[in-house]
Amino acid sequence: MSHLRCEEVTVSFGGVVACDKISLDVEEGRIVGLIGPNGAGKTTLFNVLSRFQQQDSGHIHYRDQNVDAKKPHQMVNLGMARTFQNINLFAEQTTLENILIGAHHLLGNPFADMFSLPGARRNERKLTERAMEIAETLHLLDELDNPVKNLPYGNQKRVEFARALAAEPEMILLDEPVAGCNEEETGEIKNIVRQVNEEFGITIFLVEHDMSMVMDVCDYIYVINFGANLADGTPAEIQRDSDVISAYLGEEVA
Amino acid sequence: MLGQLILSGLATGSLYALTAVAVVVVFRNTRTISLAQGDFAMIGAFLGMILLKDYQLNYFVMVGVVVVACIGLGVLVERVVMRPIADSDWLTLLFATLGVYYILHGVAGWLWGRDTKAFPVTFDPTPVHIFGAVISEGHLINMAWAAGIGLVLFIFFKYSKQGIAMRAVTDDPETATMMGIPVRFIVTLTWGMSGLLAAFAGIMIAPIIYVAPEMMDEVLIKGYVAAVFGGLYSIPGAIVGALMIGVAENLAGGYLGSHFKTATAFVMIVVLLAFRPQGLFGIQKRREV
Amino acid sequence: MSSQEKGQNTGQPTGARASRARIEGVKRRFELQNWIAAAVVFAVAFFLPMAPFVEGWMVGQAALVIVYIMAAQGVAILTGYTGLVTVGHGGFLAIGAYTAALLMKYFGTGLVVGMIAGGLVASVFGCLLGLLFLRLAGAFMAIGTLGFAFFIGTIVNNVPIFEGREGISLPRNHVLGLEIGDFGFYYVALIALAVITIFIWSLVRSGVGRAFKALRDSERAAESSGVNRLAFRTLAFSVSAFITGVAGALNGLIVNYVSAEVYADIWYSVDLLLAVVVGGSAMLMGPFVGGAFVVMIPFFFEELADFAFILKGVVLIMVLMFAPAGVVSLVARPVRALRRRKLVAAGDRLGQDDVSAQSSAASTGGDR
Repeated sequence: MSHLRCEEVTVSFGGVVACDKISLDVEEGRIVGLIGPNGAGKTTLFNVLSRFQQQDSGHIHYRDQNVDAKKPHQMVNLGMARTFQNINLFAEQTTLENILIGAHHLLGNPFADMFSLPGARRNERKLTERAMEIAETLHLLDELDNPVKNLPYGNQKRVEFARALAAEPEMILLDEPVAGCNEEETGEIKNIVRQVNEEFGITIFLVEHDMSMVMDVCDYIYVINFGANLADGTPAEIQRDSDVISAYLGEEVA
Repeated sequence: MLGQLILSGLATGSLYALTAVAVVVVFRNTRTISLAQGDFAMIGAFLGMILLKDYQLNYFVMVGVVVVACIGLGVLVERVVMRPIADSDWLTLLFATLGVYYILHGVAGWLWGRDTKAFPVTFDPTPVHIFGAVISEGHLINMAWAAGIGLVLFIFFKYSKQGIAMRAVTDDPETATMMGIPVRFIVTLTWGMSGLLAAFAGIMIAPIIYVAPEMMDEVLIKGYVAAVFGGLYSIPGAIVGALMIGVAENLAGGYLGSHFKTATAFVMIVVLLAFRPQGLFGIQKRREV
Repeated sequence: MSSQEKGQNTGQPTGARASRARIEGVKRRFELQNWIAAAVVFAVAFFLPMAPFVEGWMVGQAALVIVYIMAAQGVAILTGYTGLVTVGHGGFLAIGAYTAALLMKYFGTGLVVGMIAGGLVASVFGCLLGLLFLRLAGAFMAIGTLGFAFFIGTIVNNVPIFEGREGISLPRNHVLGLEIGDFGFYYVALIALAVITIFIWSLVRSGVGRAFKALRDSERAAESSGVNRLAFRTLAFSVSAFITGVAGALNGLIVNYVSAEVYADIWYSVDLLLAVVVGGSAMLMGPFVGGAFVVMIPFFFEELADFAFILKGVVLIMVLMFAPAGVVSLVARPVRALRRRKLVAAGDRLGQDDVSAQSSAASTGGDR
């Protein structure tokens, strides 16, 4: 069952074609990765899929529903959350506050919420409870009152993840989830990704440079180069694919 | 009548232009929107008035002294107020210049009194005929000065070493530092330039209106609006904006009545920003202002 | 990940939970103390006018100070919590004042109706402004709001019904049929201020408040978390305008006279923003301290207006240099330090600048 797919997506910026009729299909419940050499167009495609960027042509479908006209915040309502490459947290706010924002679309009536009416207060308690559970799962329980700017990088990555989870998504898009992480932190993220996928059945789509992480964690991989589809298949198939290997010649295959 | 209004508008606009350009220059190099710009000019005007009246200095000597004094004032403000908070967000920087504004206002009022005074050099009202419209010689001289300064600045930024360095600092301060560009010196230079432009603005405007602590308030605001017109980033944009405001003001004053004059600038800017949030010549990418 | 954390994971989840409960307990105790302090202050403010040395005009002045603080609170919501700089709130004050004044003059309505109507009409304008300025940020937003204030001033000055230049003089005020004077205004203003302050307190802690702060700190991240930028920006504008509108209505009715000059003056709006910046834009008490500061200056410096200017500038620059988060943040520091110590003692782990050295040593990633 297709969870998220794009058909022949093309994006160009002032004459430079970043994405050239790219198509991909993320199956429900799977962990799907997108890789490609530097400048292949991964980030642009990622932004198109999360609706932060409008494509010039082509269509995006979320569960067979056309979402071309949707704005980023509306995707959260549909069940799609995303993280950012170099983390985009609310630096001065605490871990708890950051996680709670993720649950924004579960707020209910804003007016009831503003005036702290009983129903809203109950909802708030529920959301806070949920946030604490998520924090516990990601070993962030001790950091809840700490402004996230004080956290080490690895923890900040996990807060970003926690925020995405707070939205109770059906699908999470991860933008280079282990960028800048050391081995230990990478291992943690891999575990979290697997746990989230297996325990909660959340579909994962990730863009990444770290080859071994991708090969390790993904069920299916898409490779793009020069803004176009190059190959796709299981990790084993991709590793043997001659086109992929030659595309990466000169690049370090980790 | 239309031609007359437009011509007068251009003259008024060129007065705003010097201030607008200074606002842009300071902003580009330091991310600071300087509200002190107007008062630098005001101090310059007071100084010039005293030098002429009480010391009977030669006009051009007076100009020289005022220019030096204003540059000094700009540098002083940079050192004492702006440098300690150089890494703050734009609102803090803006409010610091507001603080300078209040201080200069108070000092001027205290030292020289809050009543309006006349600038000793009379504005030359000799009418000159251009294309069937009339403009005073004084205005023409001002416009010529403004154009000249604008040209000098343009050449400076485009071709001189310091000018290019300044632009590098705007675009990418970190790389500029790594390439050996003395960013601190550039910042000081910027504020000195702000003083320089203010000196000329003050000396040119004072004969036309009057000398008083609040004399530059309206010009500052319109200069600010003109700078925003140009996207806060482009000198030609600021000049065009200033001229447009001058002309539009005069047209509004002529056809709708004089109470609509000041409002014109704001209506223009609000309408512009609603449709083109980055200003007329502003850069496309979303800058962190 | 430190061994301490791993221990927590495999060992006792209940241990972490218990610690969490203790931490929440400490937080609740602190909140209770805050509430008690606030109640005390309110009680003092409530009974002060009855003190023997207090004269009528003092109370009238105090009422105006209260109203100014309220106006500053409106600014704080938009600028401090949502990150949208406004130099045009004088416009909302004017709208509130004129709405209340016209209603009283032509329909004979009283104070309370005037306040509410003033707030509502202002919030409609606020909503429109939010939509109009949707794509603006930073300095451009500031200019836009400045333009708005100017625009309102121009309309009020030139559209006959507003009698802008001469101003509208109003008859004595009534609340529920009783005529009120200085004391009455003071209490009405005080109660309104208390209600609004409680509302802001609730708002800041709510999901809506979180959405505002998210938009302030990172619009992109906010949107990716589901915050509808258009809706919440507009909401912020509306709420902010409502509060300042109420203040405007109160202001006009207290003075019994409404004219354009005050509100259309740019410096009035700048002063409001100044009050918020000096006091602390994202602190609950910020508008109180900042508002009092701004209002008190001309009061104490009537003769020496020049020194008032100089003082204003110097204080402003000092605050920006040494307490950029506002004066209240300075005062709040020891309180926060105390709270932090208690939380850490209860098991919370706070960052580098926390008191306990052990917690910092245990956390990993010194290399970031």
